[in-house]
Amino acid sequence: MKKTFLARRNGLLSPADLSWGVFTLGCALIVLLMRVLAPNFFWKAFTPVFRTADALASQSHTLFSSFRNARALTAENEQLANENVAFATENQTLLRKVADLEALFTPSSPEVSSGILAGVVARPPESPYDTLVLAAGTNAGVTTGMEAFGAGGVPLGIVSSVLADFSRVTLLSSPNVTFVGWVGSSGLPLTITGAGAGAMNATIARSASVTVGDTVFAPGPGMLMIGKIVRVDSDPSVPGVTLRIQPVSNPFSVAWVVLRNTGTLFSITATSTP
Amino acid sequence: MIRGALTLFTFASVVFFPWPLTALFAVVSSFFIPLLPFAVGMFADTLYYSPQAGTVPLFTLYGAIVTGATILVRRRLRAGIIEG
Repeated sequence: MKKTFLARRNGLLSPADLSWGVFTLGCALIVLLMRVLAPNFFWKAFTPVFRTADALASQSHTLFSSFRNARALTAENEQLANENVAFATENQTLLRKVADLEALFTPSSPEVSSGILAGVVARPPESPYDTLVLAAGTNAGVTTGMEAFGAGGVPLGIVSSVLADFSRVTLLSSPNVTFVGWVGSSGLPLTITGAGAGAMNATIARSASVTVGDTVFAPGPGMLMIGKIVRVDSDPSVPGVTLRIQPVSNPFSVAWVVLRNTGTLFSITATSTP
Repeated sequence: MIRGALTLFTFASVVFFPWPLTALFAVVSSFFIPLLPFAVGMFADTLYYSPQAGTVPLFTLYGAIVTGATILVRRRLRAGIIEG
């Protein structure tokens, strides 16, 4: 008599699936343990990997750019050179004005800290976590609460944790960050919250005449430009409008930052484990 | 062989490529190695998660969800065959 039976179907995973799965999980757990138990060593070990990734991204960008129209590239280059000259001239004028004002209002000008220059080791590739890992820690004089500034003195975030040779900056666009800023030429105050992936949001009264393209400022030494309004969302059931803010510099492409302790930007919860 | 290549490529993509590509690799690889999305999510959070930036390690959470979904789908697809 022929035997009829059901093939085994109760196992959720075959032995091969399970062995590979356990292997991958084991690898991930080893890396996790390394980060938890020896964070400084972990970042030292992974810094060359991130540097390679940066170099690869830069080279691929150059490769793809080379396929673009040469005439368009030349025109763009010329336009950028002209803008650069205009900005340099404007910068010189502003510097002279600042020097005049400082001489007028502060007879004995206080010592201005030049800050700590720190290279960016790792940046999440537009991930939900808006953080940067810097190659400067307590050995370089970095402390929690220092503000990070990008090119042109644009505020980027705040140092939230520090190790011996590395530190982590939580960006202004991080979802847990809230700070007070201003918008437009009239300087309307508003509370800005991080929205993740480099973006920020703010809510303001509908009666305030805020439009797309208005500049947004954050507190620093004075008012520092951090971004522009790219969209204004209006819901009839809500008294205010929501402003979508795009940062003036892309935080996911910065290569270095300057850390200063101005104590004016904002405060977030800080821990010692990056 | 294909499992090894997929594992290596998916882990490497966490560092070298934007996260949507990693997510795509993880989902595709999950048909061969169901636990891979969970492991890759854990690896991504090891590299990028910061308690100040978010309360929940999202990559691990999403990886666990994809792994769970894949196991359920595979269980349904692997129907019992009556052999004579």
